[in-house]
Amino acid sequence: MLFSPKNDWFGNIKGDVLAGIVVALALIPEAIAFSVIAGVDPKVGLYASFAIAVMIAFVGGRAGMISAATAATALLMVTLVKDHGLQYLLAATVLAGILQILAGYLNLHKFMSFVSKSVMTGFLNALAILIFMAQLPELTNVSWQVYALVALGLGIIYLFPYVPYIGKIMPSPLVNIITITLIVFFFGNDSMGIRTISDMGELPDTLPIFLWPDVPFNIETLKLIMPYSISIAIVGLLESLMTANVIDELTDTSSDKKRECKGQGLANIGSGLIGGMAGCAMIGQSIINVKSGGRGRLSTLVAGVFLLILVVFLSDILKIVPMAALVAVMIMVSIGTFSWTSIKELKTNPKSASIVMIATVIVVVWTHNLAFGVFTGILIGSLFLAQRLSQFMFVKSEYDEASDTRTYHVVGQIFFNSSDKFIGYFDFKEAVENIIINVKRSHFYDVTSVAALDKVVIKLRREGADVKIVGLNSASQTMLDKFAVHDDPEEIEKFMSGH
Amino acid sequence: MSENNKYILVGIDGSAISNALVDYAIWLAKSNGLTIKLIHTIEHSHHTENPHHEGNLTPNIRRELLKELSEEERVESKALIAQGKELINAAKEKVLAAGIDNVVAKLRHGTLPEAIEDLKAETQLIMLGSKGISHQDEELGLGFHLEESIRATETPVFIAQKDFSDPKKVLFAYNGSPTAKRALAMITQDTIYKEPLEIHIVSVNNDSKLAQQLVTEAQAAFTDSSNTIITKTLSGDTIEQLTQYQKENQIDITAMGAFSHGKVHGFFFGSFTTKMIQQSDTNFLLIR
Repeated sequence: MLFSPKNDWFGNIKGDVLAGIVVALALIPEAIAFSVIAGVDPKVGLYASFAIAVMIAFVGGRAGMISAATAATALLMVTLVKDHGLQYLLAATVLAGILQILAGYLNLHKFMSFVSKSVMTGFLNALAILIFMAQLPELTNVSWQVYALVALGLGIIYLFPYVPYIGKIMPSPLVNIITITLIVFFFGNDSMGIRTISDMGELPDTLPIFLWPDVPFNIETLKLIMPYSISIAIVGLLESLMTANVIDELTDTSSDKKRECKGQGLANIGSGLIGGMAGCAMIGQSIINVKSGGRGRLSTLVAGVFLLILVVFLSDILKIVPMAALVAVMIMVSIGTFSWTSIKELKTNPKSASIVMIATVIVVVWTHNLAFGVFTGILIGSLFLAQRLSQFMFVKSEYDEASDTRTYHVVGQIFFNSSDKFIGYFDFKEAVENIIINVKRSHFYDVTSVAALDKVVIKLRREGADVKIVGLNSASQTMLDKFAVHDDPEEIEKFMSGH
Repeated sequence: MSENNKYILVGIDGSAISNALVDYAIWLAKSNGLTIKLIHTIEHSHHTENPHHEGNLTPNIRRELLKELSEEERVESKALIAQGKELINAAKEKVLAAGIDNVVAKLRHGTLPEAIEDLKAETQLIMLGSKGISHQDEELGLGFHLEESIRATETPVFIAQKDFSDPKKVLFAYNGSPTAKRALAMITQDTIYKEPLEIHIVSVNNDSKLAQQLVTEAQAAFTDSSNTIITKTLSGDTIEQLTQYQKENQIDITAMGAFSHGKVHGFFFGSFTTKMIQQSDTNFLLIR
């Protein structure tokens, strides 16, 4: 998986290098902010972002996608770090990587097809809300000067691009950081209570070194970190595969999802072994990359390498950057990640879609675990689908006086959810000689539906009727899990049209 | 699908050699009666000419960016399609003017190797120019997609490398390898070209006895007596000897098995086939 088409690397050199630099500048505040979320020193997030970006450039499945330390994974580590410390986080990161590689080999990326558009929107909205909420500690119980700086920062981020000429070439988040830092450096004093990055913990001053996580290698450790690793692995893959889809769509190109799963795993292992936290693909940064003209693997590599160079050599300057400037960047990321149109669409979309989206958001914000939200969304969405399918079922009947025969024609999908409805269509009080149940235009999907048919037949026989079932062979073909009409369009046609 | 419904797939990209390539296609189609399918691929750059380096995320950026990028690519595609249509229609006119009515012209999105892969079920012979439009001024350049295209299929590939003149002499390089054996089988079937030709069977091997054995073996496979068969054994560096023989005997087409080694081998040692094409002036018929 180290081999990539040459074009993936060198098809767009100038665009990729410039975009990579823009991304690196935006990655630094994010990596620091996410370290703060996880409760570790900024250097943990910065080393992670370097390791993940550089490795994924080679082993990832989606050229031009940016992966680094992320909010989604950072949120899952909080209690682990608080209760057991950094070394356990590093071990959990390596284990999450191993799980992701396993997921790649098991083709688990295919389960992404269960994630509907509503769930995806819910995921992004929830992520945006979480990123915003993570900024609240920096925004509560602080002086008015901090609010003013954040507001100024946001103003610069959104308005600077309108400045003629330089507005288009200088990344506005960087201009925000420089301006706020200069203001605080020259006009700030201790009484204002303005916090800087150095208050958050250690910054990297050397290149990262290879370190085996300092934890006892025993079953207790494994038991302790496993739940965290599973959550991190799942959330990381979910966000990565969703981001890959977004980039696929934006650039009208395709990606190798299986390779992406394995690549994310390798990148996390690499991150854990040089003292970085787990990460995954970043929707916001990847969009910034595409917007800045980045398309190839080179953009991701440049972002990672440039980030490390900046951080190691500029750590003294980075230390005095006020948190207010980073908060402004993170609020921008939150605003950019949120799908604002989804609020307008609440009115126009089907109610079921809106409920799925909102349920996903609520569960995530409540549990701080995006995986739970996605599972909830998938579950509720599936229930709605089952409900919908049940509506496509009815039984009509006709009575032939001459032979004293009632014929029931069953049409539609019969499965666990529609079985009761199916039984309800039969008139057990009617005393007739012969009953024919024609199931030719229906499909029996599961054990419940077959049991329902049995129940109907037994009951009718008890009432003294001769019951005959017509067309069962083809109707129950659906029962076989391995029934493979999907290979043959003609077969599907025959099948769905009631044979 | 019967053999007769298959095409000669001709890749047209508007490079200098495209014109000669159409002539060769006409020459072959007149002999074998196959339909000529001219294709031109629309390769999207998927890059933007108009990057934004503001580095910020505005509300609904995904939607806005998608709108902008698709509009940009739509304009690009429209222009490429118009350009491609012109190229391919000119080629089609040329084929029709030569008296061949069985000709279709198609534009496809994607790269040439992709198109070849997608169409391989209906292709009997592929015809390409040795240098694509982006390499035509380079001395040694081979078309960017040529190797990949040839590897994408098991269909024989004709590669035009020199201006058109009615081909008369074919050099068949035979070394007894499995690909060479397949090439021999293909050529002796006469499905590609049916009129008589002067065929030079050449084997380069330092073991002259073995070389002699190989050419005899190959000669025996040619049962159609209308061809003129000449055999020759040579020793020394294969590429050097073959290219020299091409020059001395005014060979028009070199036929041989191609890319018998995998991609990785080619990556480290360079591909014999690629070097051979680069150092020759003749056209090629490559059989995988």
